[in-house]
Amino acid sequence: MTTTVSPTMLRIEGLRQLRNPYTLAFTLAMPVAMYLLFGAGMGYGTLSAGNGNVSFYVMVSMAAYGTAVAMSSLTSLAATEAKQGWGRQLAMTPLTTTGYALTKLLTAVSFAALALVAVFVAGLLTGAEAEGAWRWVVTAALILGIGLMFGLYGLGVGLFFGSDSAAALASISMTFFAFFGNVFMPLDGVMLDIARFTPLYGFVALSRWPLTEGVLTTGQTDELWMLLLNVAVWLVVFAVLVTMGVRRSRSRR
Amino acid sequence: MNETSVQEAAPRVASSSASPAVDDRPVALELIDVRKHFGSGERRVPAVDGVDLSVRRGEVVALLGPNGAGKTTTLDMLLGLTAPSSGTVRVLGAAPERATANGAIGAVLQTGGLLGDLTVGETVRLIASLYGREALARVPEVMRRADLAGLARRRVSKCSGGEQQRVKFALAMISDPDILVLDEPTAGMDVTARRHFWDVMRTDADAGRTIVFATHYLEEAEQFARRTVVMHRGTVVADAPTALLRASLGERTVSATVPAVSDALVAALTAAEGVTGVRIDGDRLSLRATDSDAAARLLLDGGAHDLEIAAATLETAFTALTED
Repeated sequence: MTTTVSPTMLRIEGLRQLRNPYTLAFTLAMPVAMYLLFGAGMGYGTLSAGNGNVSFYVMVSMAAYGTAVAMSSLTSLAATEAKQGWGRQLAMTPLTTTGYALTKLLTAVSFAALALVAVFVAGLLTGAEAEGAWRWVVTAALILGIGLMFGLYGLGVGLFFGSDSAAALASISMTFFAFFGNVFMPLDGVMLDIARFTPLYGFVALSRWPLTEGVLTTGQTDELWMLLLNVAVWLVVFAVLVTMGVRRSRSRR
Repeated sequence: MNETSVQEAAPRVASSSASPAVDDRPVALELIDVRKHFGSGERRVPAVDGVDLSVRRGEVVALLGPNGAGKTTTLDMLLGLTAPSSGTVRVLGAAPERATANGAIGAVLQTGGLLGDLTVGETVRLIASLYGREALARVPEVMRRADLAGLARRRVSKCSGGEQQRVKFALAMISDPDILVLDEPTAGMDVTARRHFWDVMRTDADAGRTIVFATHYLEEAEQFARRTVVMHRGTVVADAPTALLRASLGERTVSATVPAVSDALVAALTAAEGVTGVRIDGDRLSLRATDSDAAARLLLDGGAHDLEIAAATLETAFTALTED
């Protein structure tokens, strides 16, 4: 009961993910590459958008995406590992469930932060601009804070789908949600109407708030309550998914 | 393996925890009327069905039984990994979870998994770190004892089954436990590795560690455990010193070629005292006998030839106990 988290375990867990080509590709390389491709690399990057420029807008989108993928894939990995033999191995040590969850959560948040820093640094170097340094800070805080909800999503997926494919499923579904959630490219018309109900929409729109204050690239405006409702509803859905996952993994022994 | 002298048909060793001598060592492990079932309603499957077992400090006990006998479930309950449906489990006088959490009990699990993308060294250090500084300091010594020093930088996924088994063994030893629980510890090991493993275990046992192991290799029980517990269908069907168990149950097997099987001979053999399991395969007759000399005499007098008498092994005892 003395120590709940082992620094050695944290360090090894971190190293492990740094060695994992899959984690690196999806959480670090892909968001940065997409930012460079669709943000900095485009002629419209320097155009103004809200309280900054388009590069900043794309940067925020990609950082949010990277965070969501990092949280969901790492927590789904944690869930599948715990259910498999490694969980039995750990169950024979003084490590508590809380300690395990805390270690994994810290690892996931660290990677989410790493993904965010990578995209933000790329943004800084390639001309992403916003009025006032505080917008950078608040945006980063919003992304990391709200991004935690996808840890719940990953946990649910990991508990529900037993195999190692859960992590792949978690991050691939995130990419899917990003396409249909107005994250990668601006949507309009029916697609935008649908996007408003998808899980990444509220998260990304809130992350962009310091820049856009709700104004979309298409000229429409998001109401703040709509975005908060989106986040709240999906939080509940993820929580239900986790509860069902726990029940399922218990019944199947 | 010499026969221990058994004067007469020894009584069947039924499920009793009758220790041969008065033993005043403190009890390390205790199961009292423990039951565990999985599922519910009509699909309720009893895995462990009323097991009483007590193991004293320093004892080395082999747990034998066919697949599905309830060995793994029993060991899981000793480790606090599975809660019994009813009954009491105590480890060092307390709930098993406590012994597990403070490292007083260590285990090599059959289904315990390792993370393939960690190196051997990382795996051992990670688990050691959970026990604290003392365990971390023990890492080099434990790696050496488990014969892993040369493998420290290798990924677990690149290790053979036997090497992974040694990693698990290192993990079990890292907390310097008083009690070791081993579920098929040598599975996947080659002969040399297996011998090395039991050599290490023997020094541990001599140093007073309590060891309980489940195995499929009867010779491991025969050579290593002074006491053997046989489980079948979730219950303990025998619990006795290994030598006694082998001698009392393993009547010698007598077989001979009988040119023309006569009913009179079979009748005479069946009627003889201590003869069981008379079987005829073609012209080969075989039986189990506590007095193999008498059975042999009857056979030879009846015209049999090519007589063979096989000494009792634990395997015959095991078969006798667990066949239906």
